[in-house]
Amino acid sequence: MSRDLVTIKGGKDGFRLLVDSSASMEEIEAEIKKKLEENPGFFPEGTKFELEVADLDRSVKKGIDQLLSKHGFGVDKSPKADNHTADNIRGIKKTGQPEQTTVQEMMVLNRTIRGGEEVTSQSSILICGNVNPGAHVIAGGSIDIRGKCRGMVHAGAWGDTNAVIIADRLMPSQIRIANMIARSPDSMEQSDFAERAYIKDGQIVIEPIER
Amino acid sequence: MSEVIVVTSGKGGVGKSTTTANLGVGLAMRGQKVVLIDTDTGLRNLDLLLGLENRIMYDLVDVIEGRVEIRKALVRHKKFENLQLLPTSQVKDKSAVNPADLMALCDELRKEYDYVIIDCPAGIEQGFQTAIAGADTAIVVTMPEVSAVRDADKIIGELGRSEKDNIKLIINRIRPAMVDSGEMMDMDDINDILAIKCIGQVPDDIKVVTSANRGEPVVGDNDSQAGKAYANIVGRIMGEDIPFMEFEKEGFFAKLKKAFGM
Repeated sequence: MSRDLVTIKGGKDGFRLLVDSSASMEEIEAEIKKKLEENPGFFPEGTKFELEVADLDRSVKKGIDQLLSKHGFGVDKSPKADNHTADNIRGIKKTGQPEQTTVQEMMVLNRTIRGGEEVTSQSSILICGNVNPGAHVIAGGSIDIRGKCRGMVHAGAWGDTNAVIIADRLMPSQIRIANMIARSPDSMEQSDFAERAYIKDGQIVIEPIER
Repeated sequence: MSEVIVVTSGKGGVGKSTTTANLGVGLAMRGQKVVLIDTDTGLRNLDLLLGLENRIMYDLVDVIEGRVEIRKALVRHKKFENLQLLPTSQVKDKSAVNPADLMALCDELRKEYDYVIIDCPAGIEQGFQTAIAGADTAIVVTMPEVSAVRDADKIIGELGRSEKDNIKLIINRIRPAMVDSGEMMDMDDINDILAIKCIGQVPDDIKVVTSANRGEPVVGDNDSQAGKAYANIVGRIMGEDIPFMEFEKEGFFAKLKKAFGM
């Protein structure tokens, strides 16, 4: 195939869904469905897509709307004039955060997360135990580890750049906050104090904290 | 009080079968009634380590499929009457035995023997799930090597998900000189990551290989460091409180190097 009819691209403030408007609704529908089902759980349920429309056919627009809501996503209908390229490529912007709630939730785990295990939560995660090498911890909010962190940790996984990662001993293979990634140095030294990782001036910084 | 123990590791080649054979012989030397079950169907070799290959008549698959009684398939050890081996099939594969079958078999053997020790295949697939099904205790064997420790960690997680909470650790094939020079992970590093009770530290020893080739496990050989270490593990399994031994260094050159601070 020369080019995909539907492309999902990660942008700075979310994901863009690019649609080739020369394609028919059936083709677009099949393609979007395929993309969404390829990675179930990648987009949190209830994510609002902003449908940016210029010359996309009304019926196609409606079709995409129905398709997304069938998968548990909403469509934000405020139209925004954003004509990208001449070949009729259109973007659908995903808003960064899952739906705002007034009550903050937190997932609490009182055990060691061992290699090969993946913990995912829309909320923040508190782990009273170690995160071993090879384990993945993915949170929509922040991550607090009362123990040693040697695995991969991803805070603010759906775009929250204010998320932080705290651990008694922060020695992860990778730290990810929102859309930024930092990896550990190749020769990792043992850390001797609690540390916090957060985004400052567009990069991930780590600083010691008292606890 | 009989106990069903599964010896597992995730990674291959760390010494599951060697450990199983040594624990079996060690416990039998102490007068316990022991049966060893090889569940590595298709890749059986526990019988080789015990030197019993030519005595096998029937196997685990025959018992599971009801062709023979358990009693008939058990192979008695040459030296120790109270040690029996239930070998597995070399021609069938792991789908021939399922967890419920093995669980029933363990419960049957439990009535007659003090210890039932199951040799688990490498990996975390069906063979592993089958092997652990009937066990009260799991012994995880690892080596001071990042990949072996990583796999042991994964296995401990899998055991936890299968509600096997009595898990013990044996660190095998330690090279004391390499640990001292910082080229090999030391015991504290491993315990720090795995965080389960360690019941044995076994040094790498050429006698393990030579004795395996002869079909006589090294346990109880007082000239062998590994043999002593296995004998200590046997004691700990029987509930004795034995401190970990200090390893002798690898020989003249290692000592010489150390003397010159290299």
